[in-house]
Amino acid sequence: MWHVARAGDRALLVTLGKAIDPALLAQVLAFDQALQERRPEGLLDAIPAYASVLCRYDPAITTAERLEKGIRQLEGRLRSSPSFGPIVEIPTTYDGPDLGDVAAKTDLSTTAVIELHSGREYLVYCVGFAPGFTYCGALDDQLVVPRRASPRARVAAGSVGIAGSQTGIYAVESPGGWNLIGRTDLRLFDPAADPPARFQPGDRLRFVPVR
Amino acid sequence: MIEVINPGRWTTIQDRGRPGRERFGIPPGGAADWFAAAVANRLAGNHPDAALLECTAAGPSLRFDSDGVVAVTGALAAGTETWLPRLVTRGSTFAIGAVGPGLRSYAAVRGGIDVPVVLGSRSFCQRGTFGGGFGRPLAEGDRLTVGDFVNGDPPQAAWPAGHRLSMLGPWEVRVIAGPHTDAFDRFALTRLTDIACRATPALDRMGMRLQTLGLHLRADEILTTPVTAGAVQVTPSGEMIVLLADHPTTGGYPVIATVITADLPLLAQVRPGDTIRFREVDLAEADRARRRLDGWLEPET
Repeated sequence: MWHVARAGDRALLVTLGKAIDPALLAQVLAFDQALQERRPEGLLDAIPAYASVLCRYDPAITTAERLEKGIRQLEGRLRSSPSFGPIVEIPTTYDGPDLGDVAAKTDLSTTAVIELHSGREYLVYCVGFAPGFTYCGALDDQLVVPRRASPRARVAAGSVGIAGSQTGIYAVESPGGWNLIGRTDLRLFDPAADPPARFQPGDRLRFVPVR
Repeated sequence: MIEVINPGRWTTIQDRGRPGRERFGIPPGGAADWFAAAVANRLAGNHPDAALLECTAAGPSLRFDSDGVVAVTGALAAGTETWLPRLVTRGSTFAIGAVGPGLRSYAAVRGGIDVPVVLGSRSFCQRGTFGGGFGRPLAEGDRLTVGDFVNGDPPQAAWPAGHRLSMLGPWEVRVIAGPHTDAFDRFALTRLTDIACRATPALDRMGMRLQTLGLHLRADEILTTPVTAGAVQVTPSGEMIVLLADHPTTGGYPVIATVITADLPLLAQVRPGDTIRFREVDLAEADRARRRLDGWLEPET
């Protein structure tokens, strides 16, 4: 059962589940796609992330009740599994300032950390927080470490970090608390590009070590 | 052309923002006090989408190389009268000076500030360092081009005093419960609305951190969701963060309540140290409050 909650007086937050899970993400993407194709009257924008979608509406055109009704009509009627994107390779230099720390915390060699991180493909669950920031999962269980105790005030664009069961790429310079293990020269956010972000939820990627 | 003689503390070019791009992590942005900005454009005889200057704490000094009309609204400005259109003569300098009570003044120049549209808006986006003409706040020596985004003549009279919002705390800010109501116990929002919160100096266009004296709300962890301006987030240490126009597009802290659209302008005028009390309302009251402000902005017929 989807949970529909008011997010202020111009948006509804639709929660499909509570886990970082490929099947839930597939549901979120199918819901997002259905909203684009059969846009309920008054819907301005839909924003997907992990297991939820924020639906912004124009209260001059529709009401929360009417929009919720339109959303409920889609529940249980979505295409079962939209396909995820092709695998994009992220050339990565593994020289992040926290690489040694992560190795120590996980009781692995830095080489093993690099092999585990680059040894699997990841699914993009969310592009959010800051322009283009790309949240991916899931990490090998051996690489799960908490965020840094004190966040850095500045993390450079292109930094590759890990936190919990996730790995992410900073697309613009921002503060950040993730453990930085590498960096990529790939530009993930470009205001002049269409779309401006390189990735979207449902894309797949793999980190490829470069010297 | 307008030359920036003194940029002020933190003056940025803003318009109605760039909604619709949050799925790329791009904040909606736009004037933090959307109502004062809309009035400034009305008083300057501008189109509602014209870009203007958002002046924070201390406003800029601007030299005009042709005659113009400027309207300043929002927080009071030491250097000029507010809430009415003013003529500026060629070669003269227009100074906004210290800003307050309130935190943000809006200066609309008749015709609007003409800078390139980036991702659907002329607004400066701090996190992405793009937009607003320069990808940064104004600096000394910047030259601003005046556009032709006019919409009728500037009105003759000042904006009615009864159609302005308070610029002075203590602030009463109305909220709608949720969306993460399930992460809290059922008395949590009542406990929050029973106390006074204090704004800390950690305050910018992205959000503001509040002290909740004597109150420590506990919440379950949530999976990151998209968030909106006005969201009142509760951090694991019990601190509260209220999101503003340039907010991160997603958040991992549970949102206990969301400030209604009609009261977002009040949040934009809160200064560090000010007292805020939240009051829970229903959607019907939020709709009435928003329509009241929209009604004030309706062109007279």
